[in-house]
Amino acid sequence: MQFDFAAKELIIKLVYYGPALSGKTTNLKSLHVLADSGARGRLMTLETRDDRTLFFDMLPLTFQAEKEISIRIKLFTVPGQVIHGSTRRLVLQGADGVAFIADSQLAETENNAAAFVDLRENLKANGLKIGQMPLVIQFNKRDLPNARSDAELIELARRGKEPVFPAVALSGQGVLETFMGLLHRTYAGLNAQHNLKQKFGVSDKVLLDDVAKKLGAKVPVEELLRTALGGIPGAPAASPGKP
Amino acid sequence: MSEYESSRVPLDHHLQALTLGNDVRLQDLVDHDALRDMVRSFHTLFGISLRIFSSDGLLLAESVTGQEICHYIGTLENGLRTCMATVSKARTIEPAARTKEVTHPCFTGAQYQIFSIDYDNRKLGKAVLGPFLPAEMTSVPDALLAVDPKIDRARVLELLPRMPRAKAEAITLICEHLRRTLDLILWSGHKSLLTSQMHLSSVRESYRELQQKNEKLQEAFDRLRELDRLKSNFLGVVSHELRTPLTSIIGYSEMLVEGIAGPLVGDQLKFVQTINDKGQQLLQLIMSLLDLSKLESGTMSMKKGTVTIAQLLSDVAATLAPKARKRSIEIECTTEPGLPDVQGDPERLRQVFVNLLDNAVKFSSEGSTIRVTAGTKALDDSSDEEGFSLLEPSRRMIEITVIDTGIGIPEDERERIFDAFYQVDSSSTREHEGTGLGLSIVKRLVDAHGGSVRVSANLPTGAVFAVVLPAANPRNQLASPRRPG
Repeated sequence: MQFDFAAKELIIKLVYYGPALSGKTTNLKSLHVLADSGARGRLMTLETRDDRTLFFDMLPLTFQAEKEISIRIKLFTVPGQVIHGSTRRLVLQGADGVAFIADSQLAETENNAAAFVDLRENLKANGLKIGQMPLVIQFNKRDLPNARSDAELIELARRGKEPVFPAVALSGQGVLETFMGLLHRTYAGLNAQHNLKQKFGVSDKVLLDDVAKKLGAKVPVEELLRTALGGIPGAPAASPGKP
Repeated sequence: MSEYESSRVPLDHHLQALTLGNDVRLQDLVDHDALRDMVRSFHTLFGISLRIFSSDGLLLAESVTGQEICHYIGTLENGLRTCMATVSKARTIEPAARTKEVTHPCFTGAQYQIFSIDYDNRKLGKAVLGPFLPAEMTSVPDALLAVDPKIDRARVLELLPRMPRAKAEAITLICEHLRRTLDLILWSGHKSLLTSQMHLSSVRESYRELQQKNEKLQEAFDRLRELDRLKSNFLGVVSHELRTPLTSIIGYSEMLVEGIAGPLVGDQLKFVQTINDKGQQLLQLIMSLLDLSKLESGTMSMKKGTVTIAQLLSDVAATLAPKARKRSIEIECTTEPGLPDVQGDPERLRQVFVNLLDNAVKFSSEGSTIRVTAGTKALDDSSDEEGFSLLEPSRRMIEITVIDTGIGIPEDERERIFDAFYQVDSSSTREHEGTGLGLSIVKRLVDAHGGSVRVSANLPTGAVFAVVLPAANPRNQLASPRRPG
């Protein structure tokens, strides 16, 4: 994260991580469609081969909030294929939050776990601990017939630390919820660390509501967050744990 | 455990700044020549001058038509001063990012349109369009006529209309078009800049990762080499220490057999003889171990000599003849006439062929024949080696084969039979005794002579061991004594 108090500008870097073909780029594309034209930049895709991400995708979103504060959010995806480990480490540098996009299909269970271990190691290589990184999990492709059942996911989510969002990124379902869930966690963490509320003079609720509105949300942020399976994620990532 | 704990990925500041977009400059994203071409083409299309500045005030591209009216004004003292003031005022106008274009008027009634060039909602520079006359202007402004007492009204009326004219709405559209064109160019520039930076960073990161792995491998390799050295040392020391008491066992049992301590009767003689035989066998094993450890540690000393292969082979055959005869096995030696000698240690080379022939006898069935042949090795049909046609004729190689009709060696075992202690049949109930050291000593001795050994099948049954040794260099043998002077 970078902020410039004189220019009242905050830059947040969020990374979409996950196994190959889990729908990271699709999440960004759906967000791009949701964002109003004033907020979204062009979706930049670096070097694809056969429609697979080679380096990363980047979607810049800019929000002008109350009191002239501008929030710039840079969304990145990492290349999911195993061989691009070095690229994933580079993209993770300076990340403020991570959305882990998992594939709901039962056959992908191992790949999801392997990609998560990879995330943990790559964070470590960058000197970051996964426990300190704001993190949300999205189970994508909920519409596929061989997906893990809702009941199972709810049970897993209840026992785990991170909020878990169900999604069908291709049709945009759950995409905004995941994004707002991640931004909420990330902002809460940054706020606790840097006291942004006082420095900017704007409450996080106002800021997040504004962002959600510009991404086409019809309901308040709390309601979006409540779509997380197995309960509402409460505390910021800095002190993880659920109420 | 992460492999990367020891060293962290170095933070790539340049890439960070480039991806977050807070350190992007207009001049980094566009090619100067291409921008100049674009500006020129724009000027030709709309007939209005255009200048593009970076945010630090650098003029990056311009395409300008000198206006006759401006030129005329410039010839008047007051006119020039006022014109300069207008231009420097125009230079200081810096429209903020994401704002509409600013109109800057000139005393001639002409206008400049100035707008900020934004990328990703940040201002990277500005574009200055003009001068042009607003389409709705009908009369010469008083300010122009009053600018200098010497001004020629008729001249002004003639020259001013030659300036390009444009409607305000048209100018707004032109500005918007320019803005969009520039945005696309900047986006493409940013994308290629990021791509190339990402390429560089990825390669650097992969290299760092490989280097780290190499270091780990090197460490493991060094550790293994050290262990190997310790093992060889250990073998040497232990073998030596074992030999001392064994010599006494063999010596005393020999004396008992010879009856020095009184005559032995019946089973007594048989038992003591067995002690002596097994003692000898053990000694052989220990000697082999010693040889092997010396060969492995590179401390085996070799005598330099000349060996006549035919002589060597018949000696070896004679040595093993009694053992072969016991099983009615015949050993047949054929040596090509006029075979050159081999340079090497006669005793060690003898050991090579004793081991090979001993094996052949051990594994051949009763009543069979073992053939031993020696000849010059035929040239290989082809080779990948550079300069093969020059090098090959200078190397004369002698090939000695030991061909048996025994049980043979399965194809997938052929590589490993030369490893120390390796036995094709390593079961505890195996038929043939042996230490598994013979062939590994053969291989190391042949290697030490600059030769090679390989094994192939003798069809329908049996094995062929082929030893290739370099012939003694004929120049060394022949040239020296004949050299004149």
